[in-house]
Parts: sequence; C-alpha cells; structure tokens
Amino acid sequence: MQLDFVNRELTIKLVYYGPALSGKTTNLQALHKAAEPGASGRLMTLETKDDRTLFFDLLPLTFRNQGSLAVRLKVFTVPGQVIHASTRRLVVQGADGIAFIADSRAAETQHNTESFMDLRENLKQHGLTLRQMPLIIQFNKRDMPDVRSDAEIAELASKGREPVYLAVATRGLGVVESMIGLLHLTWSALDAEHDLNKKFGFDSKAFLAQVAQKLGNPKPIPEILQACVGGALDVLRPEAG
Amino acid sequence: MIPPAAAKTFDELTLGHGVSLEDLIDRDALGEMVKSFFDLFGVPLRIFSEEGKLLGDAADQIPLYTFLNSVKAGRAAMAEVASKVKNITLGEDGMASYPCVTGEHYRVAAIQYDGKRIGRMILGPFVTPAQVEAPPALLALDPDLDPARLREFFQAMPRAEDDSVVKLARHLGRTLDLLLFSGHRALLTSNMHLASVRESFRELEDKNDKLQTAFDRLKELDRLKSNFLATVSHELRTPLTSIIGYSEMLVEGLAGDLTGEQREFVQTIRDKGEQLLQLIKGLLDLSKLESGTMSLRKTQTDILGTLRDVAQTMTPTARKKEVELVVEVENGLPLIWADTERLRQVFLNLTENAIKFTPPQGRVTLSARMTAIEAARPEDAGGVVILSARRTAIEFRVSDTGIGIPEDERGRVFDAFYQVDSSSTREAGGTGLGLSIVRRLIDGHDGSVRITDNTPKGTVFVVTIPVKRATIG
Repeated sequence: MQLDFVNRELTIKLVYYGPALSGKTTNLQALHKAAEPGASGRLMTLETKDDRTLFFDLLPLTFRNQGSLAVRLKVFTVPGQVIHASTRRLVVQGADGIAFIADSRAAETQHNTESFMDLRENLKQHGLTLRQMPLIIQFNKRDMPDVRSDAEIAELASKGREPVYLAVATRGLGVVESMIGLLHLTWSALDAEHDLNKKFGFDSKAFLAQVAQKLGNPKPIPEILQACVGGALDVLRPEAG
Repeated sequence: MIPPAAAKTFDELTLGHGVSLEDLIDRDALGEMVKSFFDLFGVPLRIFSEEGKLLGDAADQIPLYTFLNSVKAGRAAMAEVASKVKNITLGEDGMASYPCVTGEHYRVAAIQYDGKRIGRMILGPFVTPAQVEAPPALLALDPDLDPARLREFFQAMPRAEDDSVVKLARHLGRTLDLLLFSGHRALLTSNMHLASVRESFRELEDKNDKLQTAFDRLKELDRLKSNFLATVSHELRTPLTSIIGYSEMLVEGLAGDLTGEQREFVQTIRDKGEQLLQLIKGLLDLSKLESGTMSLRKTQTDILGTLRDVAQTMTPTARKKEVELVVEVENGLPLIWADTERLRQVFLNLTENAIKFTPPQGRVTLSARMTAIEAARPEDAGGVVILSARRTAIEFRVSDTGIGIPEDERGRVFDAFYQVDSSSTREAGGTGLGLSIVRRLIDGHDGSVRITDNTPKGTVFVVTIPVKRATIG
C-alpha cells in the first residue's frame, strides 16, 4: 500500500497468483472488459510467449469520486510456470491482498497444491505468512469437463479460512465477485492496520458498492459477498452484521 | 536513454509515483515529433514536464514575435504572456485557454498518464480566421513598432479555430498516451529483466553458500575420520604386537613344551594375530597416504627383480588354489624411479587379488613392457601441441582369468572399504583396503591405474609408471 498524503490518494496492490494456465490473465481481461472506461486504465501485459505471461500483467483501476480519498487499485498477475520463481517472488512483494486462481479440473489438483506451496514459500521469503495476508481462492474453469464438483469444493471450503469463489473467467462469471471479496478482505486488513476509514472519513461500504457498480455489478454488497462458497469472510465482515 | 529511471524500484515504477515524462519518452524524438506537428498543422507547440522543464519546442519561427522581440516593451509583454500561459490553472477536463490582449490565443492541455498529470502541452500562439485586423492593443504596444509591419506580421500568424486546436490537443494527448504506455512497458520490462536476473543470481549464491558449508563440513569430517583411523590403528598395534610375540614364544616352547593340540591352537592365535596386524598396517598406510604423511623412498628400481620377487612370494598361494602364475617381462627395460618396497606392495596386492578371484586351473600373468605417455593431458586444453611431451613409461599388467569386474564398478573399486560383492555371504575375504592403498601408492609415483577386460574372461589391472621423475611442473 502506498499513501500519497498530498494528493490524498491511496494505492493498493492486489496480486492474482496461481498455477500456469489457471486463468489469471483471463481474470484481469474480464475485469478490464467489465470496468467502466473511466475506472480502468489499459491492461498492460509484459512479455509473453505463446500467450503465456513471462513477467506480469498489470491492470490499473481508479476510483476517484469517493469521499475525500482516491483509491487506485493495481492488479497484478504472476507468471504461473514453475521456472519463473524469481519473477513471482518479485511481483508478490508488497502485495496487500492475493487472489489465488486455482484450476477446477481434477487433473490439475497437484499443480494447484504446488503453486499454493510456492506462494507460501515466497511470502515466507518476504517475512510474511499466509495468515497475515488477505487471501481469497477462486476455482476457475467451472465450465470444463472433469472438474471437482461444487459439493466437493463447498465441503472443503467450509473447513478452510479463505473465502472460496467459483468462476468461469472466460465468460466473466464470478470474476467481479472474487475481486469484491478480495477487496473487502484487503480493505478490512488495511483499515485495521492504518485506521483509514476514520483518518480519511472513508466509507468502505459505499466504496465497495462503487467499485462493484463500476465493474458492472449493481447488486448490493452483502449479496455480492454471499457469492463465496465457504471460508471466513463472515468474521471479517463486521459491517454486514 | 533512461538512466534516472533505472534506479527506481519496481514499486515506484508500477504503483505509479515514480513515472515521469522524461523517463518514458526520448527527448530528441519528442522534439522531432513536435516540429513535425508544427510543420503539418502550422500551430506552434511546446511540451513541458510537470516540473516545468521544456522538453519540446516548435514556436520560434513566428515572424511577429521576432519583430516584437526587437523592442523592450514587446519583450516584456511576451515574457509576461509566456509565464502566464505556462502556469495557467487547468480545468477539470485538463484544458485551459489563454487569449492575449494582443489578439493571439493559446490552448494549454495536460499530458496525463494512468490518471495522473505528468506534463502539459501548449498550442499557440494562433489567431482565429475571423481575426483579420490586428487588434488595437497590439498596434499600441510600442510607438517604435511600425504599424504597417505589425499588420503584415499579424496577417502571417498561424490561423486556426479554437475547436480545431482542442481536437488537435486531444489527438496529440492520445498519441502521447500511446507512446507513454509503450515507454512504460519497455521500462518495466527491462527493469523486470534485470531484477529477475538479480533475484536468480541471489538465489544461486544462497544455494552455493549452503553447498560450500556442507562441503567444508564433509571435508572436516573426512579429516577427522583419517585422524581417527591413524590413532586407532596405532593404538591397536601395540597390544597386538605383544599378543603375537607371546604366542610366538609359546609356540617355540620358551614356556615349556606344548601338546600337539595346544601348539596348533597357539599357532592359530599367532596366524590370526598376524592377519590382524596386516590389516591394521593397511589402515595406517591408508590414513598416512590420505593425510599425505607417508614418504616414499624412491631409488632406481629393477622391474624384473621386483616382479619375480612378487611372484615368488605369491607362488605358494597360487599353487594352493591351482592357479598358474606367470611373469612376462620385455627384455632391456630401464630402471625406474620408484620406492621398491611400496612398488612390491602394489603388485603383491594386485596379484593376491587376481589369484583370489581366479578359479582353479586359471592363470594369472604379471607382465611389463615399455610404453609412452603424454605428459600433458588433453583436457589441459590450450597449447597441447607445445606442452605435450611424450615420456617413456613402464606399463605393468596383472591379468587374471577370474570373474571380472562389471564396467560400472571399475571406478569405485579403488575407494576405501568398497567391495563389488558387499553381501556378508561373499566367498572372497578382504577388507576392501588393498586397492585403495594401491591407487594412492601409484599416485605417489605419478603413475596411473585402470581396469580393462581380459579376453575371453577376467580382468586386467594396467599400471603405468613413468621411467623418470616428472620434470614438467
């Protein structure tokens, strides 16, 4: 997080992590497509080879007319392939929140696990633990054959801490919900640490509603947050009652 | 092209506080674009960074301004306008217009990137097509200025509708945005390249350090092992010498006569004691060789004599196993520079091994012939032609017709304690020290040892020892 007191501007870094070809870039493309032109900048893709990210993608989202504080979201992806470990470590540095994009196909379970361990290891290298990091998990590619069943994921999700979302990023399904869930967690964590709501007279509920609106989802925030199939979004949701 | 940005961190570059116009766009190329813009549309253009630094300028060709510059009042008026235009406050849409009392217009527009203003462009001065006549304020600027000429120059001013200039500014803004985006991406890419390489390097260094630590520790452990071996062997030898000595005295009847059975038992104690002593000596030799404390007493050594001596010593063993033992030495071999006793030990060991692994009716041959070796090994690379000198050497071969050594085991049989057949039920005895000592002794003679197949079956140990002491450092 970077706070620019002079311009009353807050920059939040969100990172989309996950195994190779799980749909991280597709998530960003879907967000970019869903966003109102004023809210989203260009989606920057750094170095690709055969449609695969080598360094990272970067989507800037800006929400200006909220209260007295402008919030800029910088959404990054990491390269998923195993060999780009050092790049992932560089990109994940300084992240305020992480969306872990898992591939729903049963055959990819092992890759999901390895990537998650890799995330944990990379956070450790920066002196962070998963527990400290606002994190949501998205099971993408729900429309593919041979995916793990909704019931299986829901059952596992109910045991875990992280909110879990189901998505089909290629069709934009579940993408905004995942983002709102991540932003909700991230904001709660940043507010708890820096007391932002009070210091800047910031209404985080209205802010989330504005973000959802500008990302093309006009539903009320509690309803959007309900989209998650498990995890502990509730305990971090004091405003929702 | 962008040295200041190179020092910026990844966060500064991506989180949007470190990007400036100068970082992203080449100044010379920007200047060329500004000139080309002026050539095409006829509207002067200047581009400033957010800090007010002029980065591109195509406004110095206006004849009216050159003329105004010639008088003091004109200069002052122009300086005032320039300052006002440059620092004008822009509206919400990032634009502002400045109409001079002397008739010209300026259009100022923010250069934005990623929602931030990082510079401004100034289009103008220009006059609208409707302004045919020079305004009175211009004509009244200074009595020294000729009104006719002022009118003439005013006529020559760039002409454009303000609407069109706004469109030009927007178009230029979009063009610049594209350039800035591409520049930013290129800058990030090169930064990521560097950072990734650095990160990978750091990771490798880390691993190297860990490996080095582990290696140092292993070396230390190896040294401790050698020390331990040396100490233990030495300490074991002392009481063992007494055991052997007293059993010998018993056998010789110094403590009275023994019955046949008693003699046999004591004899066994003595024999086994001897065997144990040989083993301990071997261990001691090895640890001395490993620690480099064994000194070789090299003299001119006669090859035939040494091999015959070995054969003589081993003949009883060979006979017992019904193995034929043959010595074949080429005529006229020179003396070699070697430790005779240690060389004898080498061939005793190899011959004993050969007999051990050769079945009855087999044959063990000890042979020696003259050969030549390359003093400089090919893998020494450069200057082989110059450096390599062929040196005379003696090639010894100890061949047997035994069970043979599998190819993948050949490199390891020289390791201490290594046994090809390590099962506890193996037929052949031995500690696995012999060949390890052999190799180290041969190393001490600047020689080499290798293993090849004997046809149709069996093994050949080929030992090569140079005739003269190595003179090439």
